[in-house]
Amino acid sequence: MADPRPCVILGGGVAAYGAAEALRAAGYDGPVTLVSAEPVVPYDRPALSKAFLQGQKTAEEILLKPPEHYQRLGIELRLGQRATAVDLDRRELVLEPGERLPFAVLLIATGAEPVRLRLPGFDLPGVRYLRSLADAQALREDLSRAERVLVVGCGFIGAEVAASARMLGKQVTVVDPLPVPLAGPLGEEVGGILAEVHRRHGIELRLGQKVAELRGHRSVEEAVLESGERIACDLVVVGVGVRPAVALFQGSGLQIENGILVDEHCATGVPGVYAAGDVANWWHPAIGRRLRVEHFDNAAQQGAAAARAIAGDPQPYAPVPYFWSDQFDLNLQYAGYPGPWDQVVLRGDKAAPSVTAFYLRQGVVEAVVTINRPRELRPGRRLVEAQARVDPAVLADPSTDLRALAQPARQAE
Amino acid sequence: MATPEGYVAVKRYDEIPEGGIVPFEVDDDERILVKLEGNVYALSGICTHEYAELAEGDLEDHVIYCPLHGSGFDLETGRVTSLPATQPLPVYDVQIVDGVVYVSREPRQG
Repeated sequence: MADPRPCVILGGGVAAYGAAEALRAAGYDGPVTLVSAEPVVPYDRPALSKAFLQGQKTAEEILLKPPEHYQRLGIELRLGQRATAVDLDRRELVLEPGERLPFAVLLIATGAEPVRLRLPGFDLPGVRYLRSLADAQALREDLSRAERVLVVGCGFIGAEVAASARMLGKQVTVVDPLPVPLAGPLGEEVGGILAEVHRRHGIELRLGQKVAELRGHRSVEEAVLESGERIACDLVVVGVGVRPAVALFQGSGLQIENGILVDEHCATGVPGVYAAGDVANWWHPAIGRRLRVEHFDNAAQQGAAAARAIAGDPQPYAPVPYFWSDQFDLNLQYAGYPGPWDQVVLRGDKAAPSVTAFYLRQGVVEAVVTINRPRELRPGRRLVEAQARVDPAVLADPSTDLRALAQPARQAE
Repeated sequence: MATPEGYVAVKRYDEIPEGGIVPFEVDDDERILVKLEGNVYALSGICTHEYAELAEGDLEDHVIYCPLHGSGFDLETGRVTSLPATQPLPVYDVQIVDGVVYVSREPRQG
């Protein structure tokens, strides 16, 4: 019998894609509508800062599935339509320019939006942010004409954009307030390895420094750092983090605290309303704390988990979070929970680099990072999943067979 | 023993280690053989997401994982088990005759 409850997926990223696929796979046969402010079906967002920016892939080539796929799934697409209001009591969304869209079940997958810098000159033409395909198209166009690129912020997006711009032959300077880039998520030793790779490829790093203002006439021409240093640039890319996209739901009755609060089944406190992906701050039952993760893999999987709950088959969502980053010829993969940790153990060759890092808290393996050592990722991930305690000296010993080490950890699960 | 029609001889069964991923080529097309629990599987050697050699990847629970971004493919069917790949991996039929592994030239359909 057909499920009569119309379901609306609000958002057009990979959480929405994962949900769309999983709803049908789990047997939900009610009407499903996917509403996205972006005028395009869900795409491979991580490619924007890399393969797309470098010109290796077109917009069409990064679509997760072609538009016809959603037709085959019986999912109605409302693309390029922004939701302007929501009423959870009356169970309807208001879409631009005023259309009302009723729902019985709502999955919020609105993702996150870049933090905007409000410093002098940041409203000049030639200052870009990168989140959407439209952002990436505009940035790619600007990059084709730019010679000197300044990247503000050396998080993952900043580091990847800097690498892509350098690979396109641009002069690139990166400014970041931390003395070691990415020291927050990866620790100083691994952050230092990344910084060295960037230096070796000719990127100018200004670490422990902040931009005070941008100057220019028709468009940006130079940046002035707080130290007083002036850096000529004809394109500025800002990557200083994102915020969960919750504006629509302020005052809606949902609990909002660093994202929309949901339980281990992606359910909010309002029946029939779920959230997944970057916007969701969920209770992770295996580690007993809340997490909000801003990565592709989590969004895909959490979207699917929410869909299964909607379809009547809720299973606790308790993943080991995973992400990757590619910068020049460096491939970094991370499997594990965010910090804090109290010990980082490295094995391998930092200079190459070919390194695996283990992040421990009170002796328990909380996360693993591989840099150009992909075969150690999954055994490391198994140690994280099992919350294994391993002697740091054993982890650091390159002759230790991680696979063998992970096996008993796995059987003990 | 004659080669089965539409197949190519790749390797002796005994030369493939258990749990091993062995790259080979058919007409410049990169492929892999995987031996797991004694069974041999033949799949395309290149991830369907971005260029990556699956021979450098990893095996876990009958899934082969891409070495770069963690895309997972079912060994038996090539079905995607984890993104970012969304297109299945082509799989090839395998026959073992007199201790030699033969792989079909053309991918298995559907």
